[in-house]
Amino acid sequence: MTRSLTTRFASLMLLGLASPAAAAPIAHREVLPNGIVLLVAERPAVPIVAVRALVQAGAVHDPPDRAGLANLTGVLLTRGTTKRTGPELDSAIEFVGGSLEAGAGRDSIGASLRVLKPDLGLGLDLLSEVILSPTFPPGEVTRKIGEIQASIKRSEEDPGAVAARALARLVFPGHPYGLPVEGTRESVARLTRDDVVKFHRERFRPDATVVAVVGAVTVDEARREVLGRFGSWARPASPLPGVPTASAGREPREEVIPRDLTQATIMFGRQAIRQTDPDYFALVVASYVLGGGSASRLYTRVREEGGLAYSVYSYVSPSKYGSAFFVSAQTRIAEVPKVRTLLNAELARMTREPPSDAELSLAKAYLVGSFPLRLDTSAKVADFVSAIEELGLGLDYADRYKERVARVTAREVQRAAQRFFIPETFNRVVVGRTP
Amino acid sequence: MRRALVVFLVPLLLGAPPARAADTVVAETLDNGLRVILLEDHRSPIVSSQVWYRVGSRNERRGATGIAHFLEHMMFKGTPTHGRGQFARIVEQNGGQDNAFTSQDVTSYFVNIAADKLDLVIELEADRMHNLLLDPKEIESERQVVIEERRTRTEDDPGGFLGEEVASIAFKAHPYGSPIIGWQEDIARITPEEIRAFYRTYYVPNNAMVVAVGDFRAGEVLERIKRRFGGIPRGAAPPPVLTVEPPPNGERRVVVRKQAELPIVYLAYHVPNQRSNDAAPLEVLSTILSGGRASRLYRYLVYERRLALEAGGDYSYFSIDPNLFWFWATAMPDQTPETLEKELLAQVERLKTEPVTDEELRRAKNQIEAAFVFQEDSIHRRASLLARFEVIGGYAQKDQFLAKIRAVTSADLVRVAGSWFPEDKKNVGILLPKP
Repeated sequence: MTRSLTTRFASLMLLGLASPAAAAPIAHREVLPNGIVLLVAERPAVPIVAVRALVQAGAVHDPPDRAGLANLTGVLLTRGTTKRTGPELDSAIEFVGGSLEAGAGRDSIGASLRVLKPDLGLGLDLLSEVILSPTFPPGEVTRKIGEIQASIKRSEEDPGAVAARALARLVFPGHPYGLPVEGTRESVARLTRDDVVKFHRERFRPDATVVAVVGAVTVDEARREVLGRFGSWARPASPLPGVPTASAGREPREEVIPRDLTQATIMFGRQAIRQTDPDYFALVVASYVLGGGSASRLYTRVREEGGLAYSVYSYVSPSKYGSAFFVSAQTRIAEVPKVRTLLNAELARMTREPPSDAELSLAKAYLVGSFPLRLDTSAKVADFVSAIEELGLGLDYADRYKERVARVTAREVQRAAQRFFIPETFNRVVVGRTP
Repeated sequence: MRRALVVFLVPLLLGAPPARAADTVVAETLDNGLRVILLEDHRSPIVSSQVWYRVGSRNERRGATGIAHFLEHMMFKGTPTHGRGQFARIVEQNGGQDNAFTSQDVTSYFVNIAADKLDLVIELEADRMHNLLLDPKEIESERQVVIEERRTRTEDDPGGFLGEEVASIAFKAHPYGSPIIGWQEDIARITPEEIRAFYRTYYVPNNAMVVAVGDFRAGEVLERIKRRFGGIPRGAAPPPVLTVEPPPNGERRVVVRKQAELPIVYLAYHVPNQRSNDAAPLEVLSTILSGGRASRLYRYLVYERRLALEAGGDYSYFSIDPNLFWFWATAMPDQTPETLEKELLAQVERLKTEPVTDEELRRAKNQIEAAFVFQEDSIHRRASLLARFEVIGGYAQKDQFLAKIRAVTSADLVRVAGSWFPEDKKNVGILLPKP
């Protein structure tokens, strides 16, 4: 499904948000004595609980010569604790039909738990063990390094992944966002168990942690269960280390990566703005008009009218310390020049003229109206509330989003386009044979 | 999104819990043969509306493979009342999300949207069931889009490419041997007249079902569906698929070389479908083999032996005709496909002689039952599940499914492995990376 391609960046889910009703807060929020932010949303109808724990220990915190350290640390959390080996953890959670997965993103390491309600105690035992007392057994470290290197190697088969990696390097030169979360085969080869132990010791702390509990659970119950397992986790005296925000990119560049494929993957990208910038909502609407859905200009020109691509879209990808805007299409080799011309022309047209009333109202109606659909399961709610907490957007962000998107004018869309859609400002990557 | 197709190796998530008192399905067959299945779910003010046609690549003839999927694309190209792209545009304008997929057995269209928009969706779906334009100019343009989709999914994707080759040698007679998206030559050749005839034959109310789950009153919605769909005339009964796949007479093997990074091995065996008493044991076997990190293929091939980056097994419980049980593995960089094939086979052979442990069996059953409950959290998945069971003989079979799973014994597993995984009748596919 082509829309699923646009969810490659998890933060994209923040694009489509707006609350159906301003009245009820989306979750209860409190700060526990040791600094953990606890979020609880009660959804009593189905007897399941989803828990998402986020620790500010993402790839953005990797030391410069240790790209992939957060990712390695993340995947090793479930590979052994002081109480259980990796296989014992697997068996324990899977025996009750639940799941416990951990891994790193750009800004944080996240662990997701999903259990039937009666198994919440067991699930939280396991979750707290993997966060507080992982042992990083040497054999598991070696095994995971091998697996990560193998998946990096295999991802070279995926032209979308190859293009995204190359483009990130061009869009965020000198910033950790320019490096892949999983690292490179070379950087991963340098990682050691000591690096992982040190990263976990320094980065995992209660005042850098969010725990979101969503499902058939009450606030009191969630507080008691979380405090019982995470309450004695002591907050260090040292302040939380900071991360530099991405500085403006350099002159845009272009890269062609040859591959013996029948299609070429074209990706344009540049830095953009986060949710905290006043122009952000206009940019979101502009991106939707340009390449957001199947009524968008790119979809209409390139796919519906041109028959040139199955997949063509644009999207904003905001993270905590920087943001990017991307345009992407896949087309047969012979049509690469034509598709590039169309992408450029539609970007430029957005800067020259405001969107029509119909385009504007459709984009706003979709972005605002589809909100409840995006939070229709406990796991999605847990992901959402933990993400907005981590990004510092506030639990009223959903309401603000709706209100701000609804107020965006055609002129503001054009201004956002003039700020971010000038074709000459994009870095460009083409993966495939060129005609 | 939109005009996507189901790739046949997607593992099926099964489930929905035992019916509760409030979960009363309202089912009716209209005078024109349209099957209607409605389930109220008032947790959120949203609805999932789905129209399933009993037609997929299974109903295609040689020389016209891919026509069901091609037609799925054309369903978004307009009627006299709602022009090209209007369907998606109207849905987006109303804050809804729509998509579609084609599988071997069915073609499904769905819209998830605010509950008060359901009538609008019913109107649009009734319109395109009977009044599709199928403009030859639009068909030509969309033909190129479908070919691009094939490039993305098959030509340029090593796993997709190999899967297609293995299916094509595994079936000598039955249309399950053809790819859902169709052979490139057929997609390029199919005429507008053939698409029109296919539409007239299979898109008739007596070959379709409307399934909706969400925040509505079933009685009211049933009346609306009668009003909108009731006037569409019943069509001639679509021709049945008569082909029965003859038993295999020996091993079949295909080796392909393609630009790729890691070798892939597929094994496939002909197995019975859900009409057989062996279906529930095969479903349990599939979970024992690949349900999570404690599962056999992961534990032995990925974790302990470090032969594979990934490995799994998959059974299509919902297949209308008998289909394949797949085993697959992607090799680690230093491993050969020969070793991997040997070890995969050893795992298959082991199932025939050595009963699974009690823990493995209980774990698999718990996983399948929990998946049923997790599925309840999403109205979209609740609707899809009702439709899947309806396709194979009646939505009420959902209620017997778990009982069948619970009854499976370890002796059953030994028996079905012995019956259905004959070493000398296997289908083998190997993908060798071409530098």
